[in-house]
Amino acid sequence: MFAFAVARRYLFSNPAQTALLITGVALAVSAFVFITALIEGLAIRLTNDVTANSAHISLEPEIRVAQVLPSDDADTEAVALVSTLQRSQIRNWSATVDLILSQPQVSVVSPQISGNAFLVKGQAVAPVAVTAVEPAGLDAISPISTEIVSGEANLGGDRILIGAQLAERLGLLAGQPVLFRTDRGVDRLLTVRGIFRTGLQSLDERVAFLSIQTARPLFLLPEGVTNIEVKLVEPGEARALAAFLEDATGLQAIPWQARNETLEEALAAQGQTGTLIQMFSLISVLIGIASALMLSANRRRSEIGIMRAFGLSGRFIGEVFVFQGLLVGFMGAAAGCLVGYAFCSWLATLTRPDGTMMLPIAPTEGGYLAVMILTTLGATLASLLPARAAARLDPLEAIQQ
Amino acid sequence: MIPLVEARGIRKSFRNGEEVTEVLRGIDLTLEPGELVALMGPSGSGKSTLLSIIGLLLRPTSGQISISGERVDTLSDAERTRFRNRRLGFVFQFHHLLPDFTASENVAFPESGAAGGQSAAMLSRAHELLERVGLSDRADFRATRLSGGQKQRVAIARALMNKPNLVLADEPTGNLDRKSAEQVLELMREINRDEKSTFLICTHDEHVAAHCSRRITLVDGRVM
Repeated sequence: MFAFAVARRYLFSNPAQTALLITGVALAVSAFVFITALIEGLAIRLTNDVTANSAHISLEPEIRVAQVLPSDDADTEAVALVSTLQRSQIRNWSATVDLILSQPQVSVVSPQISGNAFLVKGQAVAPVAVTAVEPAGLDAISPISTEIVSGEANLGGDRILIGAQLAERLGLLAGQPVLFRTDRGVDRLLTVRGIFRTGLQSLDERVAFLSIQTARPLFLLPEGVTNIEVKLVEPGEARALAAFLEDATGLQAIPWQARNETLEEALAAQGQTGTLIQMFSLISVLIGIASALMLSANRRRSEIGIMRAFGLSGRFIGEVFVFQGLLVGFMGAAAGCLVGYAFCSWLATLTRPDGTMMLPIAPTEGGYLAVMILTTLGATLASLLPARAAARLDPLEAIQQ
Repeated sequence: MIPLVEARGIRKSFRNGEEVTEVLRGIDLTLEPGELVALMGPSGSGKSTLLSIIGLLLRPTSGQISISGERVDTLSDAERTRFRNRRLGFVFQFHHLLPDFTASENVAFPESGAAGGQSAAMLSRAHELLERVGLSDRADFRATRLSGGQKQRVAIARALMNKPNLVLADEPTGNLDRKSAEQVLELMREINRDEKSTFLICTHDEHVAAHCSRRITLVDGRVM
C-alpha cells in the first residue's frame, strides 16, 4: 500500500523526531507494564498467602435456621421448630469424598472433625480449635510436618500436636501429658507429640491437631465428619466448583473467596486504581501522538497541498497520517513492552535480607498483549484527528502559504 | 475541432466579512490543443485566480468551463480531484517537490498515489521524463540535493507524468535565476513542440511571454 510506504518514509526521514516520539510512547507503555505487573504480582502474592495454607472449598452441613411461618393472626408469630436431637454432621462423607476426588480440578480432599475444646494443665486452661484429620493427610491443607519445632508430626492414639504459642502459654513440652476437655464434656489425657510453629498466630496460638479416630469418641461422632476441606490445582476455580458441589451433595460448599471478602474487595479496589493509572498512561500516549502528528501535518502543509493539487484524494492523505500513528503506536508499544519487561525482571531479582522479593512484581503478568493492542489501536485512533485535518486541507491555500 | 479549454462568462468574487471583491468579471477564453499560451497581466489582475479555476483548484462564482468538451465546473469535489490527476499537470512558482523522496519518486508520485502503489512501469516512465528534462543522472537524488533549476525541471516532469491534456504553470520561472529560467522555458517549449502538450503559463514577465505562441492579457479581471 502506497500510503503506508509514504507514512514510513515520512517517519524515517526525521529519525530524531520519530525516535523521540517512539521513546515517549515506550515510556508510557513501560509504565503501564510496570503497574500491571506490580498489581498482578501483589494480587498473586496475596492470593497465594491466603490459599497456600487454607482450604479452597469447605463443605459443611447446611445450617438449620428457625424460620417464621406465615400466620393469619397478626398478633401471633409462628416459628418452625428446628430439631436439635441430631448432630449436624456429614454422614455419607466417604461417598462425598469420592465424588469430590473425581473432579479434575481437585488436588487434595481432607475429611475432618472440627470442634472446640480446652487444654488444661494444672490451673492453666486454654481454649483450642481442634482439627482432626486422617494421620496421613496432616499436611493436606496446611503444611504442619515441616513446621514442627519440637517432637514429631505423628498422630493417632492419644497423640496431639499443638502450636508453639499455645505450648508456651501452658508451659508444655513435647512428650508431656495434657488434659483435653471437649465442648461435649468428654475428658481425656493426651500426650503432646509435637509442637509446630507456622508463623501464623491464629494457628500457633489456637489450633490443635488430632487423628480422626482419636477425635471420634471425644466429640461423640462415631461415624460422620463435621466438614470436608478441598484444595484445587487452580484456586481461581473455587467458586464454580463450589457451586457444582453444593448442587451435587446438598451440602454447603464455601469457596475461599467467600471467607476472604475483604481481600477480594481490596484486590478489586487495587485493580481499579491500576486501571485508572493505566488509562492515564494510555491517554498521555494518545495526546502525544495526536499532537505530534498535528504538528507534522502543519509542517507538511505545502506537500499535502501539492499532493491534493495533482489529484491525490483526501483519503490517501488521511491514510498517510493514520499509518504514521499506527507505526508509532506499534513500535512504541513493542519497545515499551521490552523495556517494561526488562525493568520488571530486574526488580524481581531485588530481594530483602530475608530472601523475600523487594517488590511483589510478576514480570510475565505485564498485560503485554493488551497494551500492544490498546496502544496500537489508540495511536491509530489518535491519528484520525490530524489525518482529517490534513485530508481537508485546501490545496490552493496550502500551496500559496 | 473541439477546443481544449472553453471558458464562458467566468466570474469570481471573494467575500471578506461584509466586503466583496470581484476578481474575475466575466472571462471568455478558449485554448486549442497544442497551444503554448501566456496568461499575462499585472499583479492583482486575476490571472492566478483564473489559472486555479481552469486547474479545478477553485470554483468560479458563475460561468462555465469545459475541458476537451467536458463540463468541469459542475463536477463534485471527488470528480474534480480525479480529473486533476488524470487530465491536468501543474507547475508552480515554488517547485513543491516532496523533500523525502527521490527525483524519480517525485515524478512518479501523481500516478503512484492514485494507483495505490509504485510499479516498475511508473518508475520507468519517470526515468524517461527525467531524461527528457535532462536529469536522468539525478533520478535517485533526493529532492533536497537538487538545485533550484533542477527542482523546477523535476516539477515539469512530474506535471507530465500522467500525460495530461493541459499543463498549467503559475510563474514557473519566478523563483529561478536567469540561466535556469531560460532552460525551463526552453524545456516547456520543446515539450510543447515535440509532444503537442498544451501549456497555459501565468506570468507577468514579458520575456516568458515571448517564448509563447499566444498571449492572453488580463486587466482588472477582464480579458483585454
